[in-house]
Amino acid sequence: MCPLNFGYSVSEVKVIDLNQEKPVWLKKIFKLEPSLYRCISCGNCAAICTAGHFTEMKFYRLCLNAFRGQTSELKNNAKACILCGKCQFACPRGVNIRHAIMLITQIQQP
Amino acid sequence: MQQPTVNIIGAGPAGLNAAISLAKLEIKVNLFEKQDKPGGHLSHWHSLFPNMYDAKTLLKSTINNIKHPNIKLYTSKNIKQIKRQNNQWTISSDQNQEYTSDAVIITSGFNLFDATKKEEYGYGIYPQVITSLELEQMFNKRSKWPFSEEIEAPKAGFVHCVGSRDTKCGNNWCSKVCCVKAVKQAIEFKKLFPKAEVNCFYMDLRMFGKGYEELYMKAQVDYNIQFVRGRLSEASPANGNKVNIKAEDTLMNRPLKQNLDMLVLMVGMTPAILLNKQSEHIDFVKPKFQQGFITPVDNYQSIISQDTPGVFAAGTCKGPASLIDVIQDAKATAFEVLEYLKKEKEKKAEILEKFNMICAH
Repeated sequence: MCPLNFGYSVSEVKVIDLNQEKPVWLKKIFKLEPSLYRCISCGNCAAICTAGHFTEMKFYRLCLNAFRGQTSELKNNAKACILCGKCQFACPRGVNIRHAIMLITQIQQP
Repeated sequence: MQQPTVNIIGAGPAGLNAAISLAKLEIKVNLFEKQDKPGGHLSHWHSLFPNMYDAKTLLKSTINNIKHPNIKLYTSKNIKQIKRQNNQWTISSDQNQEYTSDAVIITSGFNLFDATKKEEYGYGIYPQVITSLELEQMFNKRSKWPFSEEIEAPKAGFVHCVGSRDTKCGNNWCSKVCCVKAVKQAIEFKKLFPKAEVNCFYMDLRMFGKGYEELYMKAQVDYNIQFVRGRLSEASPANGNKVNIKAEDTLMNRPLKQNLDMLVLMVGMTPAILLNKQSEHIDFVKPKFQQGFITPVDNYQSIISQDTPGVFAAGTCKGPASLIDVIQDAKATAFEVLEYLKKEKEKKAEILEKFNMICAH
């Protein structure tokens, strides 16, 4: 069935709605890797990231999106990571970034 | 020679600690308090950052210490003016009583910012919107929670910098302690309601003191408190006895909304009095827009002006400061006062000697 075309489109709502419950799999990631809570979005991980030179990979943004429950792009963005681990050396707060990335890419999302 | 006397105006943490230090140095102290009890803002606190030390214990031990033969406490005394008379200072209360001393320490402290001035947050209109002081009273069980007792997982928000770093309110300064106080209160709230969801809305997090940054990390890791960089634009009523808040999440670069059961405004510090300096007297008046905090001669001393020798200021009347800083400042000021009194005594002795010599001839 072809969707109706009205000749215009409505842009997606940009507002982050914190009233929405976070998905169970996301909560599980935080439970399995609680060091994620340490992130303060300083950007050191992104500044040093090799994959970030060529892709949209920025770990602190993944983290932020997870905190705010914005999960649509999470798994896709995490896939750009090559797991080199430089970010983990750079992180001033000791976030176990590689493990977090592994969890995000491997956990089954419905 | 007569024992020197010092009048201290304000019996909050600064006044109490200065009085105790001076009394131990064998100086007589008259301590004046506007309220009917000493303690100042400390008496509202439940626990203190960064170590969650019990505020009542500290207050009790401090007030016990002023039961010293050298200290005389006058409560319900509102001081309006201090006058210079024969190298001494006479202070007068609004009941026209006068007290003379060799030096004066002003420890008049601060007032909390009046949150109704930030109308967009709806303080005084929506019962869910409270100040940090009121939350402390709830921890002290002196008042009730703004949400129903049946709610097991309340959603709470903390707004930093209410009435601080805000030129529109005339308060350009940072009130310093609200950042860490919000972190402390968020942790305390989470301890009482482990299932609660707590968000802090900040502009910057200024964790300047010892142990503050560690407390901030603890809030994130152990209590899963979320920190959102961005200020609230408004609070409005929402269904089910909640307030709806709108903010810009500046890190996400997107607007944000949430319904809350409790919104805590971290109200900043504003000056309590303004010194109106005349030639022979100083009047204590109500501060006007953008003015009030006492500026000492320099940042390294507590003497307020070169032409008012013997008048010192200590504590938050000089600007926002943490309790730890205030106590240290009060003790340091007490020592400065001691030095001043010694010098004055030497001057007097010199004059007397000269006078005696002239008489002998």
